[in-house]
Amino acid sequence: MKRKSLSLVLVMLAALIASAPAALAQTDCKTIVPASPWGPNDQTGATNRVTPAVTKAAAAEIQEGKVVVMSYPLTDGIPLFGTRFTKTILTATTLAPGAALGENQLTYMEDTWLSQSHVGTHLDGMGHIGRKDCYYNQTPMGKFITQNNMTKLGLEHLKSFATRGVLVDMVKVYQAAGKFKGNSACKKPCLEKGTVITKADIEAGLKMYNVTLREGDILVVHTGWGDLFEQYPAQNAVYNSGEPGIGKEAAKWLVTQKIVAVGSDSWGVEVIPGEDPKEAFIVHNILITDAGIHIMENVRTDLMAAEADRTKRATFFFSMTVPKAVGLTGNFVAIEGIR
Amino acid sequence: MYRASRTPALQTGRRRFFLWVHFAWILLLPWLGGAAVVAGAQERRYTVAFANLTEAPGTTLEGTGFTGREVRESFVLAVRRYPIDLVFYDNQRDPKKALANVEDAVGRKVDLYIQYLDDAATNVKVGQRLRGAGVSVLAINTPVPDAPLYTMDNRAAGRIAGEALSEYGAKNWRGLRTIGVVLGHLRAQEQRVPDRVQGASEGLKRHLPTIKVVLLETQGNPAQVGPLLAKVLASHPATKVLVAAMDDASALAAKSALDSAGRLADGAIVGQGVDRSVHGGMNDRKEIDPSNRGSIVVGSVAFYLDRYGYEVLPIAMRMLRGETVAPRTVTAHRLITAANVFIEYPPYDMN
Repeated sequence: MKRKSLSLVLVMLAALIASAPAALAQTDCKTIVPASPWGPNDQTGATNRVTPAVTKAAAAEIQEGKVVVMSYPLTDGIPLFGTRFTKTILTATTLAPGAALGENQLTYMEDTWLSQSHVGTHLDGMGHIGRKDCYYNQTPMGKFITQNNMTKLGLEHLKSFATRGVLVDMVKVYQAAGKFKGNSACKKPCLEKGTVITKADIEAGLKMYNVTLREGDILVVHTGWGDLFEQYPAQNAVYNSGEPGIGKEAAKWLVTQKIVAVGSDSWGVEVIPGEDPKEAFIVHNILITDAGIHIMENVRTDLMAAEADRTKRATFFFSMTVPKAVGLTGNFVAIEGIR
Repeated sequence: MYRASRTPALQTGRRRFFLWVHFAWILLLPWLGGAAVVAGAQERRYTVAFANLTEAPGTTLEGTGFTGREVRESFVLAVRRYPIDLVFYDNQRDPKKALANVEDAVGRKVDLYIQYLDDAATNVKVGQRLRGAGVSVLAINTPVPDAPLYTMDNRAAGRIAGEALSEYGAKNWRGLRTIGVVLGHLRAQEQRVPDRVQGASEGLKRHLPTIKVVLLETQGNPAQVGPLLAKVLASHPATKVLVAAMDDASALAAKSALDSAGRLADGAIVGQGVDRSVHGGMNDRKEIDPSNRGSIVVGSVAFYLDRYGYEVLPIAMRMLRGETVAPRTVTAHRLITAANVFIEYPPYDMN
């Protein structure tokens, strides 16, 4: 009996020692990343807010059936961040003389797409940004990565993005406020890089079209900076050298608005150079790591901004499908705004 | 007994009173907070002049690799936080221009003038004119009489470098013959480099009190580092060399000289400045980089000229609000190494 008790104690002790690093990692993450409002097992984040009721309400935005393109082409020469790359290789062997198949002379082509996921118009997933090794919902990510992908927080856990999109036109807001300062490389008006978009600016943008944000919305911020993307490859260096974007105060306010995602016509959505030179991409931390709110980069916003200006309506049905790419941190997407 | 019989009742009464006070505070706090926000929103905008030392392209400042353009840019970025409209002037290191800038600023009725000029005599006149016009003054690196000063501390920066090298030598080369070399534009008095030299020489002796220190004057030409250091290396075979370079360009030149002499294993180098020639981004890799931890350039002491705006404008803001500021605020120099460079200078070319 005594021997059994001793064995049990030893087994328990061994289990305790074995689990110690994990427990420590968990404890650390609990001190630096908030818990998800959707529970300890949540890997989805803000798309939890896209309920059937939210999608149904968003459908009311489709009034004319007009589809507005909100993504840029993904092709050679577009501005890519850092050393990112995207390359396609076409397989067209059956087009060679005599290589067609069968009496019906069937030919076919396929692509090999060698690409990083955060290129072109793309979505940042829950596993994209962390603080140390702690990611969304206090996830100690060091335990959930392999050489190929993540075993937690991958895109496969996301729900639908079928919700209402709301555009705020920062160019118009800044022009109206008499504080517009552009960049000469832009052919159309654009805010200068380093311009901090504040909560007041976003509120002014919403007020301009008489909109208030509601839970489950996706906010699209038009800065005009995307004009440099459209000029690819001529202005790639300028485009990547910085950007106008939302600041910390605005990001924290957006968290309180319970939105699903923020997109902009820039490569990082947030202001670069940032407000504090010793902070790195802090808005990404505030939105993704702490609040599970997605960031969408290189969103084409000029067409929707023009549409809003023409019709005095800045809301639309946000249509975007994200592949169930298991274990991925993000992916390029195609977005359409339906009116 | 009396006290004992009355105390519980008293305590209960007091507890209730304090509870009510707390409750009242809780009710008042949002209102007070709101009032503060309103007050903040109503804060007037100020006009502040910044007269830079020089913005001549390619001209570096203070014996570092930083340019006036970088100093100016730091003000452009830092001012985003404040209700300040900045007016920029370029003193062009010229007393006449500096005084003309002051006249223009007085004409514009600026609220505060930030003077960056390494000419003490002109700064006296600048101070008198601005005070006469009722304009507050804040000086950078060279004092304006009776004005708060934001300044680098060359001796402290030199000492940080010297001590880091001394510690490196004591830790890695204990018992081996080791000399110290201080090199750069050592006699550049106007750039206060002699203070840096003194600090470095003192620091080298911190852990190696008997170390011999050799001074190599390059006249500000990094191309001179090679031949000068080569002679020292040739005359000190089988000797470890701790190099305190007075700027980053000289630090990189010292590394090349050690490499050319086949003596990389005998050297450790610390620079001064931490300008963009020694640190970069995730892809724009430079000497001080997390992936280059084995470099003999152990680090460089940060002077943060590219962050002057972030350091100086908070002081200016306190002055504008009528708050008391310290008569002298000193740059918090720090040794930047491969281990902390991305914390101190986070890159934004991630991938």
